[in-house]
Amino acid sequence: MPRRVAIVGVGLTRCSSWRKDVAYPELVYEATSAALQDTGITPNDVNAVVYGCMDPFDGVNAPEKWNVDACAAAGMLNKPYLKISTGGTTGGSTALAAYYHVASGLHDVVLAVASQRVGETLEAQLVLNTAVDPVYERGFGMGAITIAAIQACSHMHAYHSTEEDLALISVRNHENALNNPYAHLRTKFSVKDALGSPMLSWPLRLSDCCPSSDGACAIVFASEEKARKLARQPAWITGAGQITDNYFAGDRYWYEDWDSLAMLARRVYRLAKIDDPMRELDVAELYNAFTIQEILEYEALGFCEPGKGAEMVRRGVTAMDGQLPVDPSGGVLCTNAIGASGLIRVAEAALQVMGNAGQRQVPNVKKALAHAWGATIGFHTLMVLDREAP
Amino acid sequence: MRGRGRVSSRVCIVGVGQTHHRGSGGSLAYYEIAFEAARAALQDAGLTRGDIDTVLVSGWDVLDGRTISDMYLVPAAGGYLKDSAKVADDGVLAFAYAYMRIASGAFDTALVMGHGHAEAPTELVSNVAMDPFFYRPLGMSATAALALQVSSYTARYGVSEGQAAAVAEKNRRQGVNNPYAHLRSAVTRDQVLASKMVAWPLREFDCPPVSVGAVALILCSEDRAKRIASSWATVEGIGWATSSYYIGATDLWRLGALASAAQQAYVMAGIHDPLADLDVAEVHDATSYHELMAYEAMGWAQEGIGGRLFEEGVTSMEGRLPVNPSGGALSTNIGAGTGLLRVAEAALQVTGRADGRQVEARTALAHGMSGLAGSIGQTHGVVILRGR
Repeated sequence: MPRRVAIVGVGLTRCSSWRKDVAYPELVYEATSAALQDTGITPNDVNAVVYGCMDPFDGVNAPEKWNVDACAAAGMLNKPYLKISTGGTTGGSTALAAYYHVASGLHDVVLAVASQRVGETLEAQLVLNTAVDPVYERGFGMGAITIAAIQACSHMHAYHSTEEDLALISVRNHENALNNPYAHLRTKFSVKDALGSPMLSWPLRLSDCCPSSDGACAIVFASEEKARKLARQPAWITGAGQITDNYFAGDRYWYEDWDSLAMLARRVYRLAKIDDPMRELDVAELYNAFTIQEILEYEALGFCEPGKGAEMVRRGVTAMDGQLPVDPSGGVLCTNAIGASGLIRVAEAALQVMGNAGQRQVPNVKKALAHAWGATIGFHTLMVLDREAP
Repeated sequence: MRGRGRVSSRVCIVGVGQTHHRGSGGSLAYYEIAFEAARAALQDAGLTRGDIDTVLVSGWDVLDGRTISDMYLVPAAGGYLKDSAKVADDGVLAFAYAYMRIASGAFDTALVMGHGHAEAPTELVSNVAMDPFFYRPLGMSATAALALQVSSYTARYGVSEGQAAAVAEKNRRQGVNNPYAHLRSAVTRDQVLASKMVAWPLREFDCPPVSVGAVALILCSEDRAKRIASSWATVEGIGWATSSYYIGATDLWRLGALASAAQQAYVMAGIHDPLADLDVAEVHDATSYHELMAYEAMGWAQEGIGGRLFEEGVTSMEGRLPVNPSGGALSTNIGAGTGLLRVAEAALQVTGRADGRQVEARTALAHGMSGLAGSIGQTHGVVILRGR
């Protein structure tokens, strides 16, 4: 069995559409120094570093090489340093890689870092369009927003979710983001404002779509022995995994359900010994780059029956005072530093379990779930964090 | 390395597959070439894709000309509906990740993939890997940076162009014995010295070609290896490291990250005298000079006298520690697969399956580096294998 692994410290940066006030290594240092400080360790205590970002969204290829010394002086100390890129799941995959560094027994204290500087990209959707096949799909202008719009159309057609449901999700996330000093969009607005915002890719409006953000995140992972010394309340990893679906959009005839996520959720819940996620989870940080995806995620993650996700929204089940608060941080909808977003979900979940989430803290969190999706909705990562060791 | 715990499960290599590497992909997409290598590795291991639990691929999206290149590579490597990741670097680092996944006990069998299919000019791609303030405007690129490193090394230690040319001659001669190699033509020392100057002091034959091809390895736990294979290679030691970015902050003549990676691997494998304990090595010869620098960083020779080790014949096919029986990167350079190809060749050597390029070997070292990313070859990985 893998060794026990826990998160013992977290560092986040302020996010905005272009962090002009810092150069790239400085942005990364903001996150890594905060994580080391939060853990109470120095660069010498870090055995290895895992770095995640999506190079095509940055103004620099392989920026981890430039940023290496901003990561616990990994370059000066010639430390093991591994780079992960898996689209939108990059941050989730980075957390998984850090987990296996420790679980394997090879390293005891590992720093996971993820960053993105989308502010230096001409246009993220144009970059995403280069992810799809140049012969069959690129010419249609396919990217993240178009796929999400197909999900929305299919869900509305199959299960009668509405534009108003999407507006409710947007309003709730923006309200949550007001409590999060690290969020990019921190503006209050109403359902009426949301429904009046411009249509981007029918039926998704501006209020249904994430911004593109500059930001970074860092997390310290530790072995059991180290974790018990370093943190008053570690966030233990009790289940984690990734799944890879197919890549041609036309090869999928279902868009109203997210089958691959449901499949991964079953695997990860089994590892975490979760039978009834709705009752057992206390908070979830979901990758909601587009409002409609939250609904599909509730259903795939077993929070409700297929087709009942919108009802959960209407009943406020996932609001801050609901039975299972979702994205107290405001989620990806309010901050999307692409390659970092998955790691930010893990960081937010860890902060909730450790009781360090400040204004956005959900009371008495025992178990938290962190999710990310990537590629043309073909990748997912999940991680379950727990107050108690597995 | 500080803080290293005990690894619970021993990790074995039970399958190796590679393509016949070439200069052009023709009408094949990069993931179709990757599929060739994955299928060869499965066949070699006597497994089907259903037997694979996890897939680790590698590469640089910007070089592949495809954002999120793993969404195509992973299914081509048998990873549909499985747990996968892409290490955005040379495949030797994806190997390290696969190693950790198996060693943790969470997975039984992994497929690791390295591929090279440059859709963009490598010099341009490596230039945009430089920071936009200082190095990019200088026109710095992978070749220019390696040349800078080499000139610092030769100036400090008086290594001659002739010594480096002899390394190129050795590797190209050995490449002739490798049916998978891209360049299978010998060149003489004089031909190397007469070849076109690329970036002083590097000449055309001091540098690797740009090859298209892929390599795949299948890793599993020792328990599983015993059930499914009659011979295999065990991973005895592994290490990897990245050095600082700023050229002015580094001793250019010294491969510091390689020294660290080798040390990690030696400690884990219990190797005290590498020259005596190793039987064969596959070294990532990013240039002919870098093979000599690697000898030094890995502790086979004092700094500055790697050339003497070479001239004594220690690293020739007949020597005590033959280096690059496959022909090395100077014969085949499949981009982000070149380092992983070194591991594959080392695995073939210790299991006695290297055919015309076989040497007598029980313990092998494989070294891979990040060729196209970073200021000057910042990232290195070292793997030590033993045949069972």
